[in-house]
Amino acid sequence: MELTSENANGAVIVKAVGRVDGANARDFHEGLESSIGADGKSMVLDFAGLSYISSAGLRVVLLVAKSLQQRNAKLAVCSLTESIREVFEISGFDKIVPVYANSSEAVSGLEI
Amino acid sequence: MSLALDSDPAELQRLADAIEEFAEREGWSPDLAFKINLVLEEMVMNVITHGNVDGLAEIQVKVTSSEDSVALQLVDNGVAFDPLTDAPEPEIAGSVQERHIGGLGIHLVRTMMDHISYERAEGRNLLTMTTKKA
Repeated sequence: MELTSENANGAVIVKAVGRVDGANARDFHEGLESSIGADGKSMVLDFAGLSYISSAGLRVVLLVAKSLQQRNAKLAVCSLTESIREVFEISGFDKIVPVYANSSEAVSGLEI
Repeated sequence: MSLALDSDPAELQRLADAIEEFAEREGWSPDLAFKINLVLEEMVMNVITHGNVDGLAEIQVKVTSSEDSVALQLVDNGVAFDPLTDAPEPEIAGSVQERHIGGLGIHLVRTMMDHISYERAEGRNLLTMTTKKA
């Protein structure tokens, strides 16, 4: 799993590439927390390159959403593959984290 | 496909590689391969985190693919655990603040599989699951 982040209109876009499972969920969490930084910008998780995520990764997404909310910032996700979208829906995550088609729609949707 | 795993999260990569290879050989859709990998990971992680008292639990995984369905069998010598009755129903509603961490793995498995049966025999958990391919 690789994470890269870039700034866009006051938000940070984090691209996750590869797999997030029970073996690397902690790295995923640490990587996302460090991308939040001290200024507490809102975050877009771009999953275009993510091929797999299990409940261990979903747990991290929820923790990051909670962490951002405490800083009055928001989390959005975008570019989910069909399989990952299904996992989000079964988990009810699509109801608590807004899902967008791509990162530019997500950034404008965050209304920063 | 058969695989014996130690109760260590590092084994998940070996599981994923074996499923990928098997899925390719069987001509599975990427969606089916994803689903089987997810279900097996959730149950294997469950043994690793909850069923593994002395770190010595072993998990045997067997995957059988037929024309229209896939059957999964997991056998482990960890603590007795029936995912059908021993796992609490997770909350899948509620806001970011209200949602609790965890409980999702079993919920995903129950939703994605068409049939699940559990048996405890001779100190082992025996879990059998099937899902239609389509």
